[in-house]
Amino acid sequence: MALQILRHLKDLRMQVIHAPDADGKALVEQLSRIGCTFQTTWPIPETIAPNIDVVFVSVDPEFRTQIMKLCSFGQMTPPTLIAITDYEDPGTLQTVLECGALAMVERPIKPFGLLSNLTIARSLWVDRQDQAKRIRKLERKLTGTNKIAKAKSIIMETQRVSEQEAYETIRQQAMSKRIPMDDLANSIINAHELLTSRLSTLKS
Amino acid sequence: MAKNDWKIGVLFSKTGETSAVESTMANATLLAIEEINARGGILGRAIAPTFHDPSSSPPKYKELVKALLDDHIRIVFAGFTSTSRKAILPEIEAHRGLLFYPTYYEGFEFSQRCIYTGAAPNQFALQLADYLLRNQGKTFILVGSNYVFPYEINRIISDFVIHQKGRILDEIYVPLTADAADVRKVIKQAQKLKPDAIISTLLGRGAVMLYEFYAEAGLDPAQMPIASIGTSEAEFILMKPGVAKGHLSAVPFFQSLDTPEARCFVAAYKARFGKDAHVTASAEAAYFQVHLYAKALELAQNDDPDELLRVIDGLEIDAPQGRVRVSAENHHTALWPRVGKVNDRNEIDIVWQASDRAEPDPYFLFSSDDEWLRQSRAAGTF
Repeated sequence: MALQILRHLKDLRMQVIHAPDADGKALVEQLSRIGCTFQTTWPIPETIAPNIDVVFVSVDPEFRTQIMKLCSFGQMTPPTLIAITDYEDPGTLQTVLECGALAMVERPIKPFGLLSNLTIARSLWVDRQDQAKRIRKLERKLTGTNKIAKAKSIIMETQRVSEQEAYETIRQQAMSKRIPMDDLANSIINAHELLTSRLSTLKS
Repeated sequence: MAKNDWKIGVLFSKTGETSAVESTMANATLLAIEEINARGGILGRAIAPTFHDPSSSPPKYKELVKALLDDHIRIVFAGFTSTSRKAILPEIEAHRGLLFYPTYYEGFEFSQRCIYTGAAPNQFALQLADYLLRNQGKTFILVGSNYVFPYEINRIISDFVIHQKGRILDEIYVPLTADAADVRKVIKQAQKLKPDAIISTLLGRGAVMLYEFYAEAGLDPAQMPIASIGTSEAEFILMKPGVAKGHLSAVPFFQSLDTPEARCFVAAYKARFGKDAHVTASAEAAYFQVHLYAKALELAQNDDPDELLRVIDGLEIDAPQGRVRVSAENHHTALWPRVGKVNDRNEIDIVWQASDRAEPDPYFLFSSDDEWLRQSRAAGTF
């Protein structure tokens, strides 16, 4: 895993959002030594450049609003974010955490430590992406299971069959129609809702 | 020592585990200083070195570099193992000094206040692995002393070998001060696994034992050579003649190198330290880095470390190994990769050398399709 991260480090597209001062220079020089591909931006832009994998951003209290705006990714996958700071007071740390940084590098920038922070941040990012994917998959599965349970009880009630038979009915139907079971369950629920609502309308 | 001499500090061990090679580095440093002083010094002033023996001990290195800095000697030529460098460098940095470090090492370091004149792994490890894959076979065991240098070299070699469809059969680490039993285990494993080569990053006496036990076991270097990174002429000379014959080594300099600069350096070294004295690659780097300092001093006109650093980026000189250049980007040096084979007089014949010097890449991560290596192999001599 660690070696995988290092292996792909040079393929990542990076953006350095930092003033072109001595620290900014030290930062890009060390990135060059490591062999990273990067672009530099200053002042803080409205958005991250397209297709960027890793962002180094100078986190200064006076630019808090711009940083938070820059780092609001909404539904989009965020890049791996590394904060560059002068202070570790609670105010700065709050901004660092809120902007979603996974590592922090202190000024003055020293060559030692940049590769470590980059690797740790990227590793955390990869873990998070894997976990997010897993969670989405589990959520989908859970919704599907709930729907099948509901469809089952509809069939049990309307056709007076056992739970096992209801399940078999759904499974057989899904197979013969070549659709996922939860899709079929969805159709049963929708149809049942439609019929019951029509029945109740007719009765009244 | 006259008042206006150029003062420098020199720390290489005359005693302890790695003294065999470090003594050659101290000698080579002294030789270069004497040469420069004999031709009138720099800007009419002589170089006045302060030599100390750190006894192969990192804490001693730290203590001695502090003593030098306290005496306002801020330019220091020192270090062999990475632990010794890590002990010195923070002190040098804190005092805004300048360190010249002449040993091949594992890379992944940059200090504004250090000039690295030894090879980075992309300047020796890949070339050795590539030579073995082309000439020896595809299966290897890796053996190293238990510390950072062997781990990193083995990582790079493993990656390269696997990418080239070779196989690493085993990776063995022995203590830094290895005893006979540790080293015998390695030989036993080699007999069992029968690799095409044993790639060794053993240091000091452990390395000497490896070759001796190998010879005792009657193994054949033509079938399964020990390919070493770090075992030098200084260690080979400690072995009985013939013991190391046919084994391989990769560094930028061997004393058999047949160029005018190399012959001149080796002759001067032997004239000064005895005809049986042996020159190592680390000694060659220790030698040329003093000349590098002298050239920087001439250009800067004073020995303030910051002034020297300003002129040293991109500086080139003719070293015994060939023309070398300090990289402005990473303070390491463009060097000449070579592979040598030990003959029956315990000297090393060069069996492969790069057609051009290799640029240093201290943050070298993965190499698989290294453009430089591909080109140099295509154009390589021998």
